[in-house]
Amino acid sequence: MLLVFGLNYLALLACCLGMARHHRALLGQPPSPQRVALLRGAAALGGLCALGVCIHQQGGEVGTVLWGCLLMLSGILLVALLAWRPRWALPLAVGAPLAGGAIALLGAS
Amino acid sequence: MSLRQSMAGLHTWAGLLVSWLLFTILFAGSLACFDKELTRWMQPSLHPPAGQPLSADQVRDWLHTRAPDAHAWWMRPPGPREPWWRAGWEPDGGEFQAFQLHAVTGEPLPKSVGGDFFFTLHYDLHAGLNGMYVVAAAAILMLVALISGVIIHRRIFQDFFTLRPQATRQRAWLDAHNVLGVLGLPFHLLMAYTGLAIFVITYMQAGIRVAYQGDAVRFDTEVQRSWEREDIGQPAPPPVSLDGLIVQAQRTWGDGGTAGWISVHHPADAAAVVSIRRRDDSRITDDQRTVSFDAASGALLHVQPPYDPGYRTFAWMTGLHMAQYGGQWVRGLYLLLGLAGCLMLVSGVQLWLAKREARGGLGLGLVRGLNAAVLGGLPLASLALLWANRLLPSGLPGREHWEVRAFLFTWTASIVWAALPLRRDRRTRDQLLLGALLALGLPLLSVVRAPQGHLGVSLARGDWALAGVDLVLLATGAVCALLSRRLGRVQAPAPTPPQRLAEESA
Repeated sequence: MLLVFGLNYLALLACCLGMARHHRALLGQPPSPQRVALLRGAAALGGLCALGVCIHQQGGEVGTVLWGCLLMLSGILLVALLAWRPRWALPLAVGAPLAGGAIALLGAS
Repeated sequence: MSLRQSMAGLHTWAGLLVSWLLFTILFAGSLACFDKELTRWMQPSLHPPAGQPLSADQVRDWLHTRAPDAHAWWMRPPGPREPWWRAGWEPDGGEFQAFQLHAVTGEPLPKSVGGDFFFTLHYDLHAGLNGMYVVAAAAILMLVALISGVIIHRRIFQDFFTLRPQATRQRAWLDAHNVLGVLGLPFHLLMAYTGLAIFVITYMQAGIRVAYQGDAVRFDTEVQRSWEREDIGQPAPPPVSLDGLIVQAQRTWGDGGTAGWISVHHPADAAAVVSIRRRDDSRITDDQRTVSFDAASGALLHVQPPYDPGYRTFAWMTGLHMAQYGGQWVRGLYLLLGLAGCLMLVSGVQLWLAKREARGGLGLGLVRGLNAAVLGGLPLASLALLWANRLLPSGLPGREHWEVRAFLFTWTASIVWAALPLRRDRRTRDQLLLGALLALGLPLLSVVRAPQGHLGVSLARGDWALAGVDLVLLATGAVCALLSRRLGRVQAPAPTPPQRLAEESA
């Protein structure tokens, strides 16, 4: 579940960085057009990976619902971090999927 | 007037008028995700892990001694979330009598409203059919507010991630309202729509009146493809073992399904029927495929085929709303999203206030009062209900009514307090502080009143369902305490008139 959450979070963060205002706020300058395309690609890939993992773990029916719920909640967390703890927003995008992946590999998810 | 302008007015009023009602429904509904865990928490004798549970035949004997002539007996075996037997009977023409039996000893448990209280509150406000209509009206207005909200919010994608708590008050609440509304939109639409759909037969009766002459029972029987047998007025021969029939039902399903509700219809009659429903929480649609047997001979009478396709769609939507599938993950996420919905409502009324404070206007006092009475009062009253549950002696007659009285008394007190001009400038701080005390006190109180289920014991046992309730209470208390301190700090240095500061918090 943490893996799905982390991938969803990563996807939304990439989506968010694809917008000039947020890119400037987090990284200091507006993104180049290539970078925007890259980030949007990463967003779509992250979201799809999350959906794939969720369906693989929980089956199509329940997995899709869980994925949707986790996507909404990761979005709320991301917005809260951007508002109050912007420094945590980027590290979490690396940490959560890695930790989630490690847990999933160890078979404890 | 442009479409956006007219929708803005609609959104404001459709949203504001039912905000407090919707808060009640969403808050109680979110808690109801864990109704069974709450029920267990509220029954200390269910805290220690149970041993070999009572057999269905023993429960039937218990029902037989109490209600030999009942119209029907009902029972439900213990499951992982509900380690107790439910049993009850329907007297002829009377009201359903329901009991919880200890899974091992078979003793009826002390009466308590349990988590069902919140479940019922969220769909009919404990006001029966009229309450259901009120909730339906609120749900329709919620759908109106959601759709008009999408129309007026033209910068959905640009503002998707924008929240500026340091901006002006009105801006900050608008951001919060937009972010929570947009991010949670799929969930909110789904819950409002499926919530309405569950009682569609009650709300929209024209079809049933025309096609079934108003006979909703016959309609249900047909679309569920269920089956019944009339009594014949002859005394019943001795019945066969229920436990044997359960094994036989499981063999009929052939997919490892377990027995859920078991009913014995007209048990004193020669035509008595045992019906065993399948319990399935692995999928969204629980079609409860029922197997019916003759109570005396054990002969297989009927196997319910899968639902009619239309009814299966309906059951799928019902299942999606009820969150009985997919385990604790789904329930936990529904709880969080439901609470996010509550925050969306809070930010909505705060935004209404912030907008009008500048230019003044009618209704400001009323809205502030309702905020204190409902947004603060309802959570406090819910905590009071849990306190009453722990404090009331288990042998008290009408114990469950006293629990409800504690809830109503606290809520009434909150309303009176909100109406009186007492400490208005620090009403929210007081409420948060009281909430922190009540929430942090409950796990402590459990050490004395529920010695086999307090946090230390349940954690040591790895009993997460039980420990979870206490942990959430502790977290709630900590958040309330922090917020109350923060509000105090924000208010202390600023020499602005207290009239304004009250709304910072309300």
